[in-house]
Amino acid sequence: MATKVQVTRPTKMELARLKRRLKLAIRIQKIVKDRLSLLIMEFLQTVRECAVVREKLLTEFYEAYKAFSIASGYHGEVILEKAIAFTNMNLQITAGTRNVAGVKLPIFEIEKTDPHGSKNRNLSDGSSILDYSIERSQKCLETIIQLTELQTSLELLGAEINKVKRTNNALEYIVIPSLDETIRYLNMKFEERDREETARLKYVKRLLEQKEAYAY
Amino acid sequence: MPIDDKKITDTHISVYLENEFKAINAHIPRNRKTLTQLLQETRPQIDLSDGSTHFFRKKELEYIAEIINEEERNFLMLPMLMEVSSEMSDIKVRSSRGIEAKILSKVLDMDVAYDQKNVTVYRRQLGQIRKILATSTQYVFTP
Repeated sequence: MATKVQVTRPTKMELARLKRRLKLAIRIQKIVKDRLSLLIMEFLQTVRECAVVREKLLTEFYEAYKAFSIASGYHGEVILEKAIAFTNMNLQITAGTRNVAGVKLPIFEIEKTDPHGSKNRNLSDGSSILDYSIERSQKCLETIIQLTELQTSLELLGAEINKVKRTNNALEYIVIPSLDETIRYLNMKFEERDREETARLKYVKRLLEQKEAYAY
Repeated sequence: MPIDDKKITDTHISVYLENEFKAINAHIPRNRKTLTQLLQETRPQIDLSDGSTHFFRKKELEYIAEIINEEERNFLMLPMLMEVSSEMSDIKVRSSRGIEAKILSKVLDMDVAYDQKNVTVYRRQLGQIRKILATSTQYVFTP
């Protein structure tokens, strides 16, 4: 059952104010519902994108491990470890936020200064197999960053959806019904007051009529 | 919402509704920038009315730049605002010069309804638009 709002003065002005507030609450609830549906749409889209990127990452991991195992067999563990230790990648990531219907989501932009990666290792130890395996692992890193962005977005969108759902429920089940209940209560009170007024007037009229009758 | 179920006062509801109304469109941009301006920036971004910043993906900007010509780039204001109205099922995108209509029809790979002022986008098409133009479009909620 809806709780009645405690109004300070049960007046007609207060009733008009409550009616205006009810209209506003209904309008807000409609917008909140719209926002909820859009957030759910964004969430589902992110889920789909996430699945695609995850699949891509698994394929890249498979390729990278395969290349590393061939390189390890060809060069041996020591040379491979040395090559990994002395290889760096000039990778620059720009982090920022984008706003989706009021939710701040992370955005990572990969800016590679050297597209082939810088190879600081000893060239006499290297081979095309080693280069290929390092290239594969660098590719994985890019996809990991992409997946991080999507996964974080997913969590943030999920949290916001829960929040908006609670707001919608609060409006739908508490605010609007309680305003409705208060308006009904005030209407009843004013009708009662009107009836009392009419009864009083009738009583006074009867009294006056009786007085007039006695006067003659 | 910190409202005690047994004692909901008039002030509680009033404050709650006011704050809710403010929060709904807190993410709209304070001032938009043209595509040319954004393409010149190393980190294309705009300020939002809630004080945060909104970054644009460079790839997206380059994609839009490919669709429109040099002159149109100076007039296209980004992000494109998509008006979501609770009264209507479709979504309106303001487009006074028809540049937005050109971009959206390219993204959707079909003609869009354009009435010299607004482009009408249906909710089913939103997913496709947002997938390609995730940072260059923004929702605005109108009552």
